[in-house]
Amino acid sequence: MTAHHPLGEEIQDFADGRLTPARREDLEAHLATCPQRGRALEKLRWVKEGTARLPMHEPPPDLPARVAQALDSEDRRGSHARPLRRYLLPAAGVLAAAAAVVILVSRAPRDLPSAVGRDFAAYGRAALSLDTASGDGPALERYFARRGLAFPTRVFDLKMMGYGLVGARVHQLDGRPSALFAYRGVDERTLMCQMFEGSLDELPQGAEAREHNGIEFRIFNEHGLTLVFWMEGSVVCVLVSDVPGEDVVQLAYAKAVRV
Amino acid sequence: MTALDPERKRALFEATALPVTTALYNTALRLTGASADASDLVQETFLRAYRTFENFSLGTNCKAWLLTILYSVHINQRKRAQHAAISLPPEALEALPDEDLAGGDERLPELDERWGPEVDRALRELAEPLRAAILLVDIEQLPYEEAALALGWPVGTLRSRLFRARKRLFATLEGYARTIGYLRKPGRPE
Repeated sequence: MTAHHPLGEEIQDFADGRLTPARREDLEAHLATCPQRGRALEKLRWVKEGTARLPMHEPPPDLPARVAQALDSEDRRGSHARPLRRYLLPAAGVLAAAAAVVILVSRAPRDLPSAVGRDFAAYGRAALSLDTASGDGPALERYFARRGLAFPTRVFDLKMMGYGLVGARVHQLDGRPSALFAYRGVDERTLMCQMFEGSLDELPQGAEAREHNGIEFRIFNEHGLTLVFWMEGSVVCVLVSDVPGEDVVQLAYAKAVRV
Repeated sequence: MTALDPERKRALFEATALPVTTALYNTALRLTGASADASDLVQETFLRAYRTFENFSLGTNCKAWLLTILYSVHINQRKRAQHAAISLPPEALEALPDEDLAGGDERLPELDERWGPEVDRALRELAEPLRAAILLVDIEQLPYEEAALALGWPVGTLRSRLFRARKRLFATLEGYARTIGYLRKPGRPE
């Protein structure tokens, strides 16, 4: 056990998970017998919790359009060969929709399974990054809430099934907000989950329909990927991976709950 | 990233950077204290990021990269406006009163959403470098290394300022808790 009172910053390192396992163990032993430093740790955690729970403010509705206009100006400055984009800017009265319009422009229409599959592929080739790296499911659920997702999320703990949580991002799945989180398996294979508000009725024909524990599942196999969709309340959940298809289905069976 | 076709660059930028708008705006708002200034700061950040998008490595933390640009733009704007007080010199930061975290035995109240305005107020009262440390590490949840890079500080400086910031926040919030009766006032029996 450490012979001296650890410094405050070392207590902070403990609270932030920045100590080596050996030093952490040493400090834990000290904290168990030192009310003063235990109290300091409690206060640090209290403050961290308070700031982590701060509400997020919505950006002004005209901000996306302002940014789009700034980027358009930059595009025009860089090249005079693309005059069309200026006509794609929405009128001032629909500024709030501008960002979505600009993001969606020049993309071919696609269905939800294709969109989810493309996100999985983009993540695999590092063209889609995670906003935050964390293996802590509840922390990621709080993260989604703080980022303004207006629906409940459940970040599954799949450790028992050999998948460790890597991190998450607040995503746009074909123009709708989505909670995206990724796992890495013991064999380095990726499993991705997305949750978004919607309905299974939006899915295209051709899915294999199954029922398990009273929950309806729709299963798509596309381009070597297996996608399993189900509903939890008003939220659509989808698991996608390139691992053997039945493995993805069983993971979904294990984690889906009826709401 | 290699040079991109302009259309692909724009599409990739929109898909990668724009989803971070809310996080950037909230950080900007808590740095500047005014919605209009925060919007200007976010717009300028996106523009600078777009111009240098080829420097961004896809698959790395886009939010950290954008926050680096945002903080740099913010500091430069403030310097141009000659608001010399925004960045306290290190010796001034070190001279701030050092709150003690070790004392007391009362149960701390739960910091639920009702505390949001008080936590925001306490944040605003912090010297800007201390506030920036909290914004990036505790609110945006950047690792120390990425937050230090974004703020242009050594990791040790970030660690030290973060600690001081948390202590000062605690002191302010504890004072508020005593004022409204969540904690008993010093010297008053339980």
